[in-house]
Amino acid sequence: MSANRWFATGNFYTTYREEQRIFVTHLDRLFFSLLLIGLFAWPLLVPTSNRNMLVINNILIAVVAVYGLNLVTGFAGLISIGHAAFVGIGAYTLAGTAGAIGESHVLITHAWPLMILASGCMGAAFGAFVGLPAMRLKHLYLAIATLSFQMIFSWTINFMTFFNQGQMIPVGRVFWINGPVGRNEHYLFWYYVILVTAVACGLGVRNLLRTRYGRCLVAVRDNDRAADAMGMHPGLTKVYAFALAGFFAGIAGALHTYMFRGAGFESFTLHHSIIYLAMAIVGGLGTLPGSLLGPVAIQILELQMEHLSEWAGALLPANMNLATAMRPLGFGLVIVLFLMFEPRGIANWWRICRTYLKLWPFRY
Amino acid sequence: MDMTSAATRPVLKVVDATLDFGGLRALNNVSITIEAGLITSVIGPNGAGKTSLLNCVSGFYHPTRGDIFFGERRLTSSSPHQVSSLGIARAFQNIELFRGMTVLDNLMLARHRNLTYSFLQAVVYFGKASRLEAENRAVVEDVIDFMELEPYRKQTVGSMSYGIQKRVEVARALTLGPQLLLLDEPMAGMNIEEKEDMVRFILDIQKERDITVVLVEHDLGVVMDISDRIYVLDFGQVIGFGRPEEVAANPQVIDAYIGEG
Ligand SMILES: Nc1ncnc2c1ncn2[C@@H]1O[C@H](COP(=O)(O)OP(=O)(O)OP(=O)(O)O)[C@@H](O)[C@H]1O
Ligand SMILES: [Mg+2]
Repeated sequence: MSANRWFATGNFYTTYREEQRIFVTHLDRLFFSLLLIGLFAWPLLVPTSNRNMLVINNILIAVVAVYGLNLVTGFAGLISIGHAAFVGIGAYTLAGTAGAIGESHVLITHAWPLMILASGCMGAAFGAFVGLPAMRLKHLYLAIATLSFQMIFSWTINFMTFFNQGQMIPVGRVFWINGPVGRNEHYLFWYYVILVTAVACGLGVRNLLRTRYGRCLVAVRDNDRAADAMGMHPGLTKVYAFALAGFFAGIAGALHTYMFRGAGFESFTLHHSIIYLAMAIVGGLGTLPGSLLGPVAIQILELQMEHLSEWAGALLPANMNLATAMRPLGFGLVIVLFLMFEPRGIANWWRICRTYLKLWPFRY
Repeated sequence: MDMTSAATRPVLKVVDATLDFGGLRALNNVSITIEAGLITSVIGPNGAGKTSLLNCVSGFYHPTRGDIFFGERRLTSSSPHQVSSLGIARAFQNIELFRGMTVLDNLMLARHRNLTYSFLQAVVYFGKASRLEAENRAVVEDVIDFMELEPYRKQTVGSMSYGIQKRVEVARALTLGPQLLLLDEPMAGMNIEEKEDMVRFILDIQKERDITVVLVEHDLGVVMDISDRIYVLDFGQVIGFGRPEEVAANPQVIDAYIGEG
């Protein structure tokens, strides 16, 4: 290791453990710490409306969900067009339990961390089940299997009275150490819960990726014959990838339900699955920073498109309907442009900046 | 090379293996015995069935009839990951590396079976997980030294020259820590210098690492030089077997080769 861990120009290690660290230079570590402190401190310093808080919470929930999608689609290379349905599984695990035992049962209001974890596990179970065809099917055929899961999910929720036929199933207010979390602190409270979850999940994923449990995903993506020869069961590895995706989706779903104080089918449609996919692609498939950058970028885009279509709606005659068409058009365009010109996503810009900074100005 | 022919021990036995692809018979009653510690070459014209034979041993194909034994274990219907964890490693004819990964990651993947920490230990990356990662990294580095791949450690495999990729293939197979190493044309497409290196590596693998080698190769000069035993395949049948000098004198083998060329 170089004497100076602040401005190391290259990588200098003396042990393998040093090389396996997450943050190589102190600068990386400092940057990450500042980011974390900023994320935790800003709500206390800047008064924020509930409306904006909701947007931010939504982004963070999407981050957790996209961790999962990025693992299965980015790292393991298995396209999933039903990710919102897995988020829905998590959401309805919580909402269904609330419907069955009462929305203010202690299990829902006091043991909420447990409920979130249970929703994640349910998501993982469904993920593994839906991933079973991956033992045999590849590429498009597998994508169709995930798409049909999305359809089956929507039908089931819409037709079963147990799930209130897709109408909102309410979930009670949760308790913190000093009593129930009130209306005013609701979004702030969930901001912190979601932030802690997102950071913990992110670190967990980062760790997984530098062990056999992460490398095997990339191995089956790159060459599943060779993966087989290396002693991995390629089929089971793919099923495992779907289970991982389902787990993070399930966690995200439970967070969503708690934050909106209920679950309704309209948040888990094919449209949402495509948005998740857009987030993963725009952020950068197969990169961890991409899972953070994608949801932020897409959420900002969505807000801008809203402004733009309002503005266009005011200018153009009402019967042209261009305003309503603009959102999906804008999305499609952004995805296509990214796939064409920056298939490695925004995360690649981030990587380029870092490489540049490392050598600036001709350090040695 | 084979000095003591007295106490030989068979490690791998293929017994009367037949492999059909629809109407095409790729292997026809092939029986082969591989003895421990030797370099056994399998030669034959294009399409003779050499790769098919290796594929049967490593579990990618299953013989239509016949049996394969590795020591006492019957491999006939095992899958590749089972075969590899028993101690048979394989380098492929058409390079089958993880192209998007670095040399290091390719080799670390070969340690998959030896990284015995649990999922939760991996998530927190503490204790056993971090210790085993470092230990296996040391094993990988040892192979990198052995195969003289130090300058390429962090390069992405897909961007390297063909000769180096072939060498990484062999290195990755070695990293599995096998008893038996199957090499399918490891020198194809190499220049003279790269070939000489590879020959040296194969001999070192046999001597220093005490690994039994099965070599499929078209360069007869190399084969005659380094093999202890040679099997000759033609149209899916064994038409000759023996020490290099015996095979070279076998009229059937000469026929097959002259007939081809
Ligand atoms: N998966 C397959 N499906 C159909 N036919 C196959 C398959 N694999 C091999 N064959 C056929 O089996 C025969 C033997 O092929 P094999 O690849 O074993 O030859 P080889 O001796 O390795 O040749 P080469 O020296 O060109 O590598 C060939 O006729 C080939 O076309
Ligand atoms: Mg061949």
